[in-house]
Amino acid sequence: MSLVDFSSDAFIVAFFLYCFAFMFYVIAIAGKKWSNRDPIQHEKRWGRIAFITSSLGLASHLTFFFTRWAGSGQIPTSNMYEFMTFLGMSIMIAFTIVYAIYRKPLLGMFSLPLTVIIVAYASVFPQEVQPLIPALNNYWLKVHVTTAALGEAFFAVGFAAGLMYLLRVVDFKGKTKEAKRSQFWVEFSLYSIILIVGFIVAVFAFRGMGYEAEFIQQKSVIDSKGIETTTEETVYYTLPAIVKPYNSDTVKFDSFLGMSEPIFEAPYWMNGANSGRKLNTVVWSIIAGSLLYGLLRLVFRKPLGAVIHPVMEGVDAEDLDEISYRAIAIGFPIFTLGALIFAMIWANIAWGRFWGWDPKEVWALITWLYYSAYLHFRLSRGWQGHRSAWLAVIGFVVVLFTLVGVNLVIAGLHSYSGV
Amino acid sequence: MLVVENTKCECGHQNAVGTVLCESCGKPLENNDISDLPLEMRYDGVARRSQKSNPSYIDKIWNFFSSVKIAIYLIVITFLTAMLGTIYPQENTFINNFDPSVYYEETYGLPGKLYYLFGLSHTYESWWFIGLLVMIGTSLVICSLDRVLPLYRALSKQQIRKHLQFIHRQKTVYKQTIDGDEEKWVEQLGAQLKKKGYRIHRDGTALLAEKNRFSRWGPYINHIGLILFLLAILARSIPSWQMDSYITIPDGDTVQIANTNYFVKNEKFTVEFYTDDELPDKLKGTARAKLFETKAVLYECESNCNDQSQQPVLKEVMKHNIIVNEPLKYKGLKLYQFDFDTTPRLNAVHPILIDKQTGEKYGPFDLPMKDSALQHKLGPYTLDLYANYMEFAIGDNGEPTTLSRDPNAPAFVFTVKGPGLDPDGEPYMYFPMQKDKVKFSQDAINHAIADKIEIRVDGMENVDFSEASTYLNVRMDKALPYVWIGAFFSMIGLLMGSYWQHRRIWLRVDDGQLSLGAHTNKNWYGMRSDVAGALQKIGITVDPKSLDNGGNNA
Repeated sequence: MSLVDFSSDAFIVAFFLYCFAFMFYVIAIAGKKWSNRDPIQHEKRWGRIAFITSSLGLASHLTFFFTRWAGSGQIPTSNMYEFMTFLGMSIMIAFTIVYAIYRKPLLGMFSLPLTVIIVAYASVFPQEVQPLIPALNNYWLKVHVTTAALGEAFFAVGFAAGLMYLLRVVDFKGKTKEAKRSQFWVEFSLYSIILIVGFIVAVFAFRGMGYEAEFIQQKSVIDSKGIETTTEETVYYTLPAIVKPYNSDTVKFDSFLGMSEPIFEAPYWMNGANSGRKLNTVVWSIIAGSLLYGLLRLVFRKPLGAVIHPVMEGVDAEDLDEISYRAIAIGFPIFTLGALIFAMIWANIAWGRFWGWDPKEVWALITWLYYSAYLHFRLSRGWQGHRSAWLAVIGFVVVLFTLVGVNLVIAGLHSYSGV
Repeated sequence: MLVVENTKCECGHQNAVGTVLCESCGKPLENNDISDLPLEMRYDGVARRSQKSNPSYIDKIWNFFSSVKIAIYLIVITFLTAMLGTIYPQENTFINNFDPSVYYEETYGLPGKLYYLFGLSHTYESWWFIGLLVMIGTSLVICSLDRVLPLYRALSKQQIRKHLQFIHRQKTVYKQTIDGDEEKWVEQLGAQLKKKGYRIHRDGTALLAEKNRFSRWGPYINHIGLILFLLAILARSIPSWQMDSYITIPDGDTVQIANTNYFVKNEKFTVEFYTDDELPDKLKGTARAKLFETKAVLYECESNCNDQSQQPVLKEVMKHNIIVNEPLKYKGLKLYQFDFDTTPRLNAVHPILIDKQTGEKYGPFDLPMKDSALQHKLGPYTLDLYANYMEFAIGDNGEPTTLSRDPNAPAFVFTVKGPGLDPDGEPYMYFPMQKDKVKFSQDAINHAIADKIEIRVDGMENVDFSEASTYLNVRMDKALPYVWIGAFFSMIGLLMGSYWQHRRIWLRVDDGQLSLGAHTNKNWYGMRSDVAGALQKIGITVDPKSLDNGGNNA
């Protein structure tokens, strides 16, 4: 068995340990109300079990990372699969650090599912080791990617704590306009998370069914001399094509539920590589996610926020507010170092300019400006608690757009990280 | 504003207008502030420079930029506008032959046209974006100065015995009755706090414990770094501070770097591809470059540098094999491997002239595609170069023209004089490449002269090819060192401000009644556990959370 194969096994072990750790954290929190036990003892005991499990998961994840590195001869952060697994691992590291400070099992109840979702999301992408193109083969790149991801991981923990804060303080029985608005947006946040789960479910379901479609896309490229040339590109789909690539012909199409040809064509302005397929994936995520959400609503018969809210009872909201702020404050210097300073050093070495206003660079700067605004808001009266929690939640959306959205929608130097 | 505010505290200290907490004893000064909510402790309650009673015109500008609220607005506006700039590619991502006024509309339709018209196609070079950055810079300077000086003053002359109101209205508070010797009790707690890294100042039964005051300077050091960084970026617009251009050099050629005294020679360009064994299944059969390298020589020109008619005198200054990530660096000039072109290119031919009547051969003579000599003498024949086309074509008006400056279809027109020809010379058209000779029917163009003489290449050894051309990116950036220094300071400041917190504990015992208040600029959790931990050590057990006196986690 090669090292790379062994590392894949370690990855699966880590994934399941995370899932178990999540369940244990839920037991630690929700089980406090169970009869015949002392709530404080219960939380302590199950909190410890859960923390040991999640730490074993992290150890296993680290094993995956280093054995894959040794086996492939290059640091596993070079494609989307490797980067997203690394991000998941970083979130666990950030969580472990924050947990070591605050010892709140509740934090695990929200950080673990975030890790599980990101790790599962990573598994959607091709997992084979790909050789690096020369521009990517540099020491500073490794430092840049890993540090930036670690900084973002702290923002993720800040996001988890912020969302927890909202689920704790929002009045889910309130009928005022204010309360209704908060309820809606909390629900919307939860729905968005479920969309990502829907995406993962859809991909694995259709992969299991062996679904395939194939298109030939005509692409016109204007070269440096201003001459337009047309190239043909074959695009493969593994999800039923509701949206076909812009300017393309169908080669093969497995029919699905009576659908035997694409319904829409992707708009011309989506520039990224394989943008048609990506748009199709987004459409499927919305369909699968909405079905999943509808199912959950049917089971619980009330908004998901209202389902989770009672679990949070007795949790100190102020602690959550502080944990969220603290995680972001810890992550901010790391993010600055990794996503801006190391990135500038690397860009200067690789391209001879430290800054080129490439979309990915601009979005890293936007993320940085966003969080610096957040940190300054915290100094102002009235921006703690509720508003600050929303800022933490929105901030993570900005982070995700920088990591994934930019590659999806905008083409640029980083487009070779390919979604 | 003629009413003079009474800003003298009951302890006798005269405070500046705008002071929230007495600089000496800490008593809240605002007359109507009689609540018992936690105090606003920012900048220790001292008056900022901007809080003047009679602001002048300059003061008003100062006040505008000294506001954190304005700073936040500026940051938010900057990132929102930066977002707009990523919708379509910016103009500077296109290297040449690019007309933005047409491109955006053609590629993206009406939104593209608007994008161009609103100047968003060069967002980051636009005056308003740079203006925003300048305003952020100004705000950084003024916000910092406005706060750091009064704060420094306040922290360097702290009074140990604080007003009871000041202590009781901290965010972390502990009250308790003490039996026994008060002085001894205070000393014991002081010793415990000292073990936790606090510096202890005592005044009888009053105590001030403080640690990590340096972390308060973190944000200001960070801001100094950011200002340096912004200045360095603005300095790049000074002429000759920054250069960013591209050059194409075929194998064996020497090319001048525009606007400099440097010439670069590409001795040999090589490219290596991944073999199929190294590629995963999906990528097999594709040409994925593994390594490309230019063996480059850099020359400095000593004379005849910009005179086209003379050969420049060059002195070799450096040899370097340029690969990605390993540029040639010489005195701030950097040559980066950018791209390559493996289309072979004709450099020169060495043709001969044949007298078709006698069968006599003259030559070979040297005919480079670029900058050929204007006259060639071959035995009795004289060839004057009349015209030279790099990529010959017949234009729309029927006249010969050239499509580019690369020798893709070179053509020469000579005026030939010699035996059996018109004494004034006869035109002769010569296509060095066989394909062009056929395509443009050289013999038909040349008419009668084609029967008298012929110019042709005798064998492949008389043809010079370049197998590939290398594309180098030429860069120069004199502001760079300042950029790094700025980034370094900024980072140090961030670390200081984020990973350490300034913590202070005040306590006093009045007739057996202990009053303890604690303040930190971040991380109240740590503050409370410090207090609870020290109390625990001297036999008082308190739940850290119970020390919380409410208020916000600033």
